[in-house]
Amino acid sequence: MTRTTVHRTDSGVSVSRTAPAPNILQHIGRLLWLPMLAMALMAFPVGLALGLSRAGLVADGADGAMVAALGHFGTAAMFIGFASVFAAISFAIARILGVFRSGGGGIQEAAGAEVHSLRMPAAGKAFVGLMLMAMMALVAAVIGHVIVGSGLASGGTALAVGEQWALWLEGVRRVATATYLLAISLGLTTIATVLGFQITRLGELPSETAR
Amino acid sequence: MSSNLNTLPRSGSIRRSTSSALSRLGVSAALGGVLLATVSLVNAVVAATEVAAGNEAAVAALVAWSFGVATAALATTKLGVAIVLWGIVGRIRARVETMTSVLPRLINPSQESVPAGGTHVRTPFGPADVTRHPPTELAIHRASRLLWAPMLGMGAMAVYAGLVLSVIQSSTVATDATAARALGAWVQGIQFLGEGMLLGGISFLLGTILAGLRGGGAEVQAHLERPVHTLQMPLTAKLFIGLMALGVIVEMAQFGLYAYASTLAGDPSFAILATWLGPLREFGLGLLLSGIVLALATIARVLGFQFHRVTGLIGRPASNEVTS
Repeated sequence: MTRTTVHRTDSGVSVSRTAPAPNILQHIGRLLWLPMLAMALMAFPVGLALGLSRAGLVADGADGAMVAALGHFGTAAMFIGFASVFAAISFAIARILGVFRSGGGGIQEAAGAEVHSLRMPAAGKAFVGLMLMAMMALVAAVIGHVIVGSGLASGGTALAVGEQWALWLEGVRRVATATYLLAISLGLTTIATVLGFQITRLGELPSETAR
Repeated sequence: MSSNLNTLPRSGSIRRSTSSALSRLGVSAALGGVLLATVSLVNAVVAATEVAAGNEAAVAALVAWSFGVATAALATTKLGVAIVLWGIVGRIRARVETMTSVLPRLINPSQESVPAGGTHVRTPFGPADVTRHPPTELAIHRASRLLWAPMLGMGAMAVYAGLVLSVIQSSTVATDATAARALGAWVQGIQFLGEGMLLGGISFLLGTILAGLRGGGAEVQAHLERPVHTLQMPLTAKLFIGLMALGVIVEMAQFGLYAYASTLAGDPSFAILATWLGPLREFGLGLLLSGIVLALATIARVLGFQFHRVTGLIGRPASNEVTS
């Protein structure tokens, strides 16, 4: 297969004779969206159950440190769920982009034309980068909650210190979640860009094919 | 040759520029949400310092409005996502128009036939119905087209109304702790009802995209005077509807329970209720987000089916489709 790259002022396009396969990120997206969703669907009920247990401790007038510890564990479980579900959304977007890449190429190949595939736009690169950053921040916050919760449960961490950490970690979680959503908006913008490119390319096919 | 982005018909060009503008607006809104969340992070750092100083009233006041700001920040990013999706809906329509005008010049002479009563085929993407005419629109698709905008509008109003209430709550903490607790219950209930509605609106937008793919694909095939192949509703789509409905119900329930909790603000049972309502409202959002994952997976499947069908119409025999 011969592959050359043409440079254009509007966007970069890769040209080949056959339809390209999904790239590595799109392949990962196809493989991982479902396991990530499954993990989220397991974590959310655990988080809810820990919240209900904590309410039981409050009702029983249990030790404040134990109540606070369970609060940290419950939040950790819930945010394992959120980190997973946002990852699943990101992977599902990558999967859609993979379908566009191979499907759009397939139509051009079937029509007997050169296969033009859009190279990863800047929004796509930003999507991947921000998604990774947000995921790492959420995972770090979850680890932080588990460490602080363990400290409170064992008596190694003072209640006030646990409260301080709860506030800090809450702030980190909020920024990470917002960043994840920004990444998702960039991933969807990439889909819009690919759709626009494919509409243009489809319009060019009749003039390139002699049927 | 290289692709020329100025070769689109006029109507497509208008949709293209509108869609690009919507994408930019959506990403800007999402970025604004991230900045607002950063304000909340700074506030959390300040509140943690006050904890160390033992200034409980200041901590309560800071935490009160910080919650309102943070939830509004996340709602703003979700609005950004919705705006980008709105642009995609426009592009799906432009894609159908282009396919309708271009495909007649690309496809092979028809060798396909369809029985009068219709039939089914198995495809690599699941079973598909084969009919002479486009199928009628599904009720969920009609509901999606009608409801996405009202859901987003009501959701945004609820979240920002909650933000105003959180500021009022923050100023009440020092003077009337019971009233502040009651207000706090309203803030949490109304803001998470709004968050649920926003995610519901996003779900309906994804449903609108699925409606566009289904209806548009059928429209193109009918225009080509070919048998209309329509993918049957995949399991992921059915689960998506179930999770979305469940998520919205949980968010409505938590709103009702927070409203009830606000009447118990002076009672010890308030603390118990508030302790489990927090995880419940997040559980509801988790269900809605899980539904959104399944909607995206359904879009990927439907797109794969459409590419397969168009490729078959152009040149490749649909050898992997077996009549059932």
